[in-house]
Amino acid sequence: MKFFPSFLLSCLLIISGGAFAQTTKTKAKGPATETLQLKTSAVCDMCKARLEKAMAYEKGVQQATLDVPSQMLTVTFRPDKTSAAALTSAVQKTGYDANGQLADNKAYERLPECCKKTNDVH
Amino acid sequence: MHSSIRHSRALAVAGLVLAATAAQAQTPDPSVAPVRGQVLDVTSNSPVPGAVVRWLSNPAGAATTDAQGAFSLVRPAGTDNRLIINFLGYLADTVRAEGTRYLRVPLRRSAELGEVKVEARALAYSGLTPTNTQVITSRDLTKSACCNLAESFETNASVEVSTTDAASGAKQIQLLGLDGAYTLLTLENLPALRGLATPYRLGYLAGPWIEGIDIIKGMGSVVNGYESIAGQVNIHLKDPEKTDRLHFNAYVNDMGKFDLNLNLATRLTPKLSTALLLHTDHLGGRIDRNDDGFLDLPRATQFNAFNKWKYNSGNGVVLEAGLGALRETRQGGQLGFRENTPGPYYGITQETNRFTGYAKASYAWTGRPYQSLGLLLSGTDHDFISSYGRRNYDGNQRTGLATLLFQSIIGTTAHTYRTGLSFQYDDYRETYNPSTTSTELLARNRREQVPGAFGEYTYQNASNLTVVGGLRLDRHNLYGWLLTPRLNVKYDPAKNTVLRFAAGKGLRVANPLAENSGMFVSSRDFVISPDLQPEKAWSVGGSATQYFNAFGRQGTLVADYYHTEFQNQVVVDSYTSPDRLLIGNLASGGRSYSRSFLAEVLVEPLKGLEVKAAYKHLDVQTTYGGELLPRVLVPRHRLFLNLAYATAFDKWRADLTVQGYGQRPLAPEPGSVERGPIFSPRYALLNTQITRAFKRWEVYAGVENLTNYRQRNPIQGAAAPFGPTFDAAMVWGPVYGRMSYLGMRFTLP
Repeated sequence: MKFFPSFLLSCLLIISGGAFAQTTKTKAKGPATETLQLKTSAVCDMCKARLEKAMAYEKGVQQATLDVPSQMLTVTFRPDKTSAAALTSAVQKTGYDANGQLADNKAYERLPECCKKTNDVH
Repeated sequence: MHSSIRHSRALAVAGLVLAATAAQAQTPDPSVAPVRGQVLDVTSNSPVPGAVVRWLSNPAGAATTDAQGAFSLVRPAGTDNRLIINFLGYLADTVRAEGTRYLRVPLRRSAELGEVKVEARALAYSGLTPTNTQVITSRDLTKSACCNLAESFETNASVEVSTTDAASGAKQIQLLGLDGAYTLLTLENLPALRGLATPYRLGYLAGPWIEGIDIIKGMGSVVNGYESIAGQVNIHLKDPEKTDRLHFNAYVNDMGKFDLNLNLATRLTPKLSTALLLHTDHLGGRIDRNDDGFLDLPRATQFNAFNKWKYNSGNGVVLEAGLGALRETRQGGQLGFRENTPGPYYGITQETNRFTGYAKASYAWTGRPYQSLGLLLSGTDHDFISSYGRRNYDGNQRTGLATLLFQSIIGTTAHTYRTGLSFQYDDYRETYNPSTTSTELLARNRREQVPGAFGEYTYQNASNLTVVGGLRLDRHNLYGWLLTPRLNVKYDPAKNTVLRFAAGKGLRVANPLAENSGMFVSSRDFVISPDLQPEKAWSVGGSATQYFNAFGRQGTLVADYYHTEFQNQVVVDSYTSPDRLLIGNLASGGRSYSRSFLAEVLVEPLKGLEVKAAYKHLDVQTTYGGELLPRVLVPRHRLFLNLAYATAFDKWRADLTVQGYGQRPLAPEPGSVERGPIFSPRYALLNTQITRAFKRWEVYAGVENLTNYRQRNPIQGAAAPFGPTFDAAMVWGPVYGRMSYLGMRFTLP
């Protein structure tokens, strides 16, 4: 089957990709990165998982961490690939307020009940 | 005078004690103070009294909220500061009790009918349900290419998927070594795909439609009827309220089979939502990789649609309705066979048309969320015509089911009960003609009307013991009064240990033709005894689940054992005579039983790498012609290994599954003089898949049966299919060998 070599290749790619990620961590980062801090309406660990995952799939995002008690989202990104405005909008489209700008309504309605703004931080 | 001195002394002592405790409390850290908080209803913001608050790490110390919904709970030792808040009628919630913060916990009402299922982290083995329940999530479902329900079980050790014969392509599930017909399949907790739909039912639900699957081993609830014997498989379809607006899946494999799926969901108003689920698959080519002159897989086309509606008033009323339609055509057999000009060739043709609908209405009392009333209705029309060589088999089944269900508590939520009435209507019409040349047409018509009543009581002591006892009484128009008792017990002797016990009775009426349709593809004559009685079985079993810490992450060890003993069974005997298939009641003095042992371990040795290994031992025996023999094609030993690797946020996912099958007893070939069981060889199958996820897209590719293992001659006497030695029903291994596939998914949230 033709498929099998390509499968092996993709396996190799994963392994090499993992190794690459490890080396860049220790070395100084190549391209310049910027950090953005956003005050969100996230209230729980489920929001944290949701928001961090959504950020991970945004172009140019290197790292995203949400501190649940303070509701602060810290995003490290490459300014040549994305912008603070694009990331703010991405947070809104995930269903959360970002620095006072309201969440996208449709996305907010789809949040699980425990992630709604009516809840305390929990 | 005296008394006032005493008084002041006492006050002074009290003052000292207070000062001392205050000082103590100030100096070390505030975390020793009890956690205080309030539990509120999320919609009305009113207090929820009677909710149970306990620590995740120490379930023994529990508190109950008072009339104001307030609670106070001493902290346990350890660093885990997660609290679980449980209340019947609400979804359980987990919150972190950090610092000395006053907690306000909003609880969401669970307006859904049926089992209140709590899956905080979607554990593969739930620690909360009283039955031995295994959960397959939609994420697990993407581990295999998952065109339909049959493939959904491929990365699961409990359920066996087997091919019924080498030509029709029908697949069956087996639970505890018993045929699929002994497993009750429910769709949204309503019995579905029963009776004549059984042989091909796994193909009637598309994988991308499915939100999750619960596999309940052993005796389950009496609410869903008396039919489950080996267990229950409950399928949740995508919820219109929560699912993605659009989900598209396209799949193609190297045999040219393609699958297309489109799920659309929309919220018409804040209260009303709908989902449209569409599926089609097609295999047009004639594939014969083993050069036996027979198609390895039938050419098949399926169109399948399901429309689901949900209305949630927000104040206790939930209405749900669904409508489904399916059309499937299949054509298999010899390469030269054409449906309109069969000529001298052996062919298999089939056409199925199926319409189904269901409606559910439930009302939960405001202020008394533990009390609800539900009405469940469903109806199906299943119609098919089929031919297997010279045999013709046509059938129609019309089914109606109605259940009225009331749920409430006795005093406190420690004692809950469910009770109700049900009515089941089945109209079966089958015609079977063993040979186109003869006129010996066999008509099997049966009309069942079964009113019934049931009650189920649950005791829950809020910490470690749950007892569910159920009883149902049905009046069958053909078989009289049927009494079905069932018992489930769950006990947690220690923090991370869960023991479960299940016992009870199950009963079903067999459909000997439909359930053995794989045997049509053989020269064996069907000999059905005229007075078939319902199948009755008692099942006793239990499981032990141990959660443990390995490599810094949670691991799970499960062991279970079930014994099912048939009082009566419709025994399908392919041993006694090589030229006939004898179907009759279990002989008096005969035995039929299944003993199943499963041990499964789940660990995560590296972050992102999950390893699941299982061993299964099956001892399934029946008296055939006075001799106790192992059930045909059921392997005694089975091994299972699944390695699943996912990078952070599931951007890459890879899976490798190894399934090892022990020797299986085979029935003698037609025309042979050999008697007694002969065995198939041991073998192992390797499946693998890799998925890459992007923001909206996912691309996946995989190979099934990587080592290209095949059963050498799946069809006996393939050269003369109308001759006396023809048999395609003894399939113990893969027919078409290695298969690779490619697919993609697109999602708009």
